[in-house]
Amino acid sequence: MSEIAIETKSLCKRYRSHLGMGLPPTLDGLSLRVHEHEVFGFLGKNGAGKTTTIKILCGLVWQNQGEASIFGYSNRDKRARSLVGYLPENPYFYEYLTPRETLDFYGKLNGDTVAARNKRWDYLSELLDLSDIANQRVRGFSKGMRQRLGFAVAMAGDPRLLILDEPMSGLDPMGRHMVRDLMLRLREEKKTVFFSSHILGDVEQVCDRVGMLVNGKLHREGALQDLLTRETLRVDVVTRDVPEDTIAELSTSAQRVYDADEGVCLSFSSHDDADAAARKIYAGSGRVVSLTPIAETLEDYFVRQQEDGEGAS
Amino acid sequence: MRIRAIAANTYREAIRDKVLYLLLIFGIISIVSSRILGYMSIGDELKIIADISLASISIFGALIAVFVGTNLVYKEIDKRTIYTIISRPIDRYEFILGKYLGLITLLAVTTLVMGIISALYIVMMGGSLGVIYFEAVLLIYWKLLLVTAFSVLLSSLTSPVLGAIIVLSAYVFGHGTGILIDIPVDMQGTYMESLLAAIYFVLPNLSNFDIWKEYANGIEISHTYVVWNMVYGALYTALLLYLATLVFENKDV
Repeated sequence: MSEIAIETKSLCKRYRSHLGMGLPPTLDGLSLRVHEHEVFGFLGKNGAGKTTTIKILCGLVWQNQGEASIFGYSNRDKRARSLVGYLPENPYFYEYLTPRETLDFYGKLNGDTVAARNKRWDYLSELLDLSDIANQRVRGFSKGMRQRLGFAVAMAGDPRLLILDEPMSGLDPMGRHMVRDLMLRLREEKKTVFFSSHILGDVEQVCDRVGMLVNGKLHREGALQDLLTRETLRVDVVTRDVPEDTIAELSTSAQRVYDADEGVCLSFSSHDDADAAARKIYAGSGRVVSLTPIAETLEDYFVRQQEDGEGAS
Repeated sequence: MRIRAIAANTYREAIRDKVLYLLLIFGIISIVSSRILGYMSIGDELKIIADISLASISIFGALIAVFVGTNLVYKEIDKRTIYTIISRPIDRYEFILGKYLGLITLLAVTTLVMGIISALYIVMMGGSLGVIYFEAVLLIYWKLLLVTAFSVLLSSLTSPVLGAIIVLSAYVFGHGTGILIDIPVDMQGTYMESLLAAIYFVLPNLSNFDIWKEYANGIEISHTYVVWNMVYGALYTALLLYLATLVFENKDV
């Protein structure tokens, strides 16, 4: 049985306005478990409480009620933070330092020796391609360069757990590719990764499990293969050279008919309806360009669960 | 090592602050221009030069402490550089102490620079220094330790503008706490007298650290007086830093 890397019990957080008035709760009894060696995707729309949860785990914000722990240590205990590498959304560093100096600074905060800091720099500069910019000031760095440095800082102390807040946000395709590869590598290295993201396609590729936060509560959690039904939602039939009266006849059993690049697309709710339509098209000497079953994606699931969760609360 | 790393970084950051150089240049101009006022006071030229030079070190040092100090923690939160620092295995008091030590190291350098320039200028003008000159500069620095601690406290509580207004007001008031016990005869024996006396004993009397007037006027000051004032300042500074860590300990960043 693997160790529990992250555990929260009935976590509540309510911020106060500048006038000291209580705002609606950001977290409202969040209970969550992430096991060691897991890559866990933390999903939820803007304002759902993802960043607040991450900040509580990293000791930046304190909960009003409930418990949060990292490998059994309370989030108030600095031993918990010695096991965590944190990458905030849009990481900011001292502009006048170079990547090498930045990493050295964080190494000192971790309590690493000079030899350990140098060794770590050699490894991370190679891994994250920082050697060419090692002695350039952070001022003027692009978003992608900052993100690479952010990863290096998060990984500075060779932590058992990485907590990443929107690690792919604002990156170009190359940057996202780099982050995705890095996360897959971390998974191979048996690191525990907890990250929030809006880019669901990437989440689908790298996550073992996901948790979905709706209105400050964990609405669903589990392995992706268990959560996604993978049932066929619809079957799209793209046709060409089909007489208009045939299209009109088929459209009575189709969910939707629209013009696609390759021809006319007819969406059916079942394989049987789609097969029947294809036979009719062939019989009328029309052409079927493609027949594609469409399964539920994480994005479909996300939207469905958000609607369910908001409807329930 | 962690406190030292934060202090070194704070020093490195603060030394890039343009406000620091502006205030340092004004401080030096003020020291050098003390001769102009010296001309106006017939026979007391040296006294005025010594008086204004040391007052300049005190005032411009305090302005550096206030304007850089009230930004220290706030800027880290505002620029979000604090996220990756506080999430390391450090205690929050280590962060506050590191920031504080970084700034007081910088203030030691600026006080030393202004102190040396002032000393050279006084000697050039024909004056003499003596141990009391160095004690006067040391007590000015000691006062800056206290002002910096208050600035750091405010920096963890509020914006730099509001913080600077509060610290500067306290600085001015701290030099005039004597009026709290120098009350009119008809108030004597009233509750108001007791209240004002209580406030007098609670608030630090910053004018205790100003022995430059004695130096300028050639009045002797005992070393014991200097040492006791240093103990007095250290206690207030420790209290303010304790409050700053207490505030910061529970702050959401």
